[in-house]
Parts: sequence; C-alpha cells; structure tokens
Amino acid sequence: MSQPDSDRSSSESSRRILSALADGDATDSEAVRAFQAWRDDPDARASWHAYQLIGDVLRSDDLAAEPAADESFLVALRARLAAEPVVLAPQPRIEAEAVAMPEAANASATTGRVRRWQGPVAMAAGFLVVIGGLNIMRPFNHGAGAPLASNTTTASGPVLASATSINNSGVIATTPRTPAQTQAAADQLAPYLAAHRQSAMNGPFQMPGSDLRNVSLVQPAR
Amino acid sequence: MLNPDPDAALVERVKQGDVRAFEMLVVKYQRRIERLIGRMVRDVDLVADIAQETFIRAYRALPQFRAESAFYTWLYRIAVNTAKKALVDMKRDPVMTYTSLQGSDDDDETYRGGMEPTDGETPEALLASKEIAATVNAAIASLSEDLRQAITLREIEGLSYEEISDAMNCPIGTVRSRIFRAREAIAERLRPLLDTRDGNRW
Repeated sequence: MSQPDSDRSSSESSRRILSALADGDATDSEAVRAFQAWRDDPDARASWHAYQLIGDVLRSDDLAAEPAADESFLVALRARLAAEPVVLAPQPRIEAEAVAMPEAANASATTGRVRRWQGPVAMAAGFLVVIGGLNIMRPFNHGAGAPLASNTTTASGPVLASATSINNSGVIATTPRTPAQTQAAADQLAPYLAAHRQSAMNGPFQMPGSDLRNVSLVQPAR
Repeated sequence: MLNPDPDAALVERVKQGDVRAFEMLVVKYQRRIERLIGRMVRDVDLVADIAQETFIRAYRALPQFRAESAFYTWLYRIAVNTAKKALVDMKRDPVMTYTSLQGSDDDDETYRGGMEPTDGETPEALLASKEIAATVNAAIASLSEDLRQAITLREIEGLSYEEISDAMNCPIGTVRSRIFRAREAIAERLRPLLDTRDGNRW
C-alpha cells in the first residue's frame, strides 16, 4: 500500500494548504487549490474534517462527535443543497461590467472617441470655410494700398481677437493675436465692410420701403 | 484590532457559486451549531433537523451577508432564530414534524431532507465521542512544546498567525508549519477512529 513519493508530496502540500485555509491564512491561489482538493480528493476531505474536529475537541470535549454522524449530516445536507438555486452574489458593478461585456465596452470606447472628435472637427471645418472666404476676398485688398507687413510696427493696445486651434487631445486652445495682426486684419476687412454698407444702402438688393417708420397702437377708451 | 474573518475566502467562494465550498463551512461549524441548538431544544433528532434547516437558511441568505460580522457570528444568529421558530411551532403544534420548519411553499410534506434517524445519543455513539476526545487530548499532550503552544494559541485562544508569531517570537511561516504539523500528528492518532465505518470517506 505504498504511495508514490510525488503523490504523497502533493497530498501533503494539499493538506498544508487546507490547514492554512482553516485559519484564514491561505493566499488566493492556495485557496483555489484547497477548493479543488476538497472537490476531488477524499483524503483531503477527511483531513479537513479531522482538522476541524481537532479544533472543536481542543475547545471543548463535548464537541467530539462520531465521524459517521458528521458524515451523514453532510450527505443529507448535500441532497438538500442540490435542490437549492446556486448562490450567486452580485459582483461590484464596474467589475461585473468589465468582465461581462468587454467587447461592448471596447465598442463603446471607440464610439466615445469618435464622438469626442466630432465637435472639434466640425469647428475646424467651420474655420476653414471662413479662411477660404477671406482668401477669396483677398484680391480686393490688393487695391487697398499698404502691404500687411508695414502695419506690424505701429499697432499697439489691447488684444482684440484670438486665433483658435485644436490640439491633439481634442482640447480647443487659444493663441492671442498680436496687436499688429489685429490691426492688419482690420485693415484687410475695412474695404469689404465699406463696400457691403454701400451696397446695402443703394444696391439693387435694397428692400422697398426701407425707411423706418414709428407705429403705435392706441386702444380706444371704453 | 479585530482579526479578519478566517472564513472570508470560503464565503467569497460560495458567493461565486461554488456550493462545495459551503460544504467545507458545514463541516467546520456543524458540531458547534448542533451543540447550540441542543441547549435550546431537547429532542435529539430535532436538533439535527434544525441544524440542517439553519445551514439551508444560511446558504439562501449568503448573498446578503455583508461581512459586517464574522461568518460564524452570523450563522450563530440564524441557528438561534431557527431554533426559536421551531420552539414556537412546537408550542402551537406539539406533534411538530420537521416539515413545519421548512418553507410554506414546500408541497412535499413527507420530505425530511434525506436525513436518516441519527444515532447521536446512543451509548455506542457516546462512547465513540469520548474516545475521540481522549485521543485528541492524549495526542496534544505528547506534542513538543512548540507545536502544542502554536495549536493551542490558534484553536483555544483564537489568535491569528501574526499574533502567534509575535507571541512565540518566530516567523509567520514557522507558525503555519507548526500548526500544520500539530494537526497532522493528532490526526494520525485519530485516523483509526475516523475510518471505522464501512470504509466510508468524506
């Protein structure tokens, strides 16, 4: 009835872990091994019972019980437990979601990334349209006289406008314009605005009856 | 400082759906629960039945166990409440059967959970219990001082490995090893008594 050395060593290792688990001192991986041993190995089950019985008897002699009684108690309870729904306590929400739906979480993250970029990209597209419009207007500026560079030294005063850009992380960053740049832009726009005013006042698109009249409603007294 | 619940790993395992881990808790606490119930209810067969019902109730309620107390404290309260309910039912119906302990949704009134009549109080059983107690006590007396002190501090004083390590001035690994060796030595002496019935093993 000799046991191979490897089996004996493995069995002793299981019993060591069971002893530690009985005292709440097993590591997580050891605990998993202990649960497996209890499930698969009759000797491990006998050892677990013996360790617990020893502890009980050390505490009080009247806790000594015939092992057959303990065993029949467990056999009877096992039959009743088999009829019970399996216990499954809810896991913490975040952990459960991460475990249960990793693919959905990834898909959601991808969608989130796309959504995060939609706003800034739309804004950038809007600026491109404006810049394109200004470039189209540029030929009119050539007749306005002074080149842009000539204004750089004269302008001073508060910063009136900012250039807006979007960095890699999708955060909108603002870069203050220098006073010179602000003045140059104002000079660039001045002829356009003057022409616009002129056409609005006298052009072919003038609305009939564009003069303003004051109108008041008077209710008759009763 | 309160020691962590030594049953925490087992309880967590049961909560994850491993009913076999619950069996380990049953083997650990069944004798203590039966003794507790036996102090409240005199009928020996009823004691085993109430203990069974206690464990079933604990198993059902385990998802709600929040570890605010030790598992055994929680189980102890369930046992007391189950025994009290049995006593109330017995006053109402002196010919109470085990079925009255079970939920009202259980239609099978003849079901006794597969529990056979126990021989818990027969003279043979009493003798076997006394023999086991005597063997354990003799085995512990024959242990070396280190092993006896380690297992006594753990099982009787309820100290954690860390506290025993401080008390005995040795590393925790040594404590763990000493307690294991003490248990093995005692179990070795007990083995002839534990294997007597039809070769049944756990």
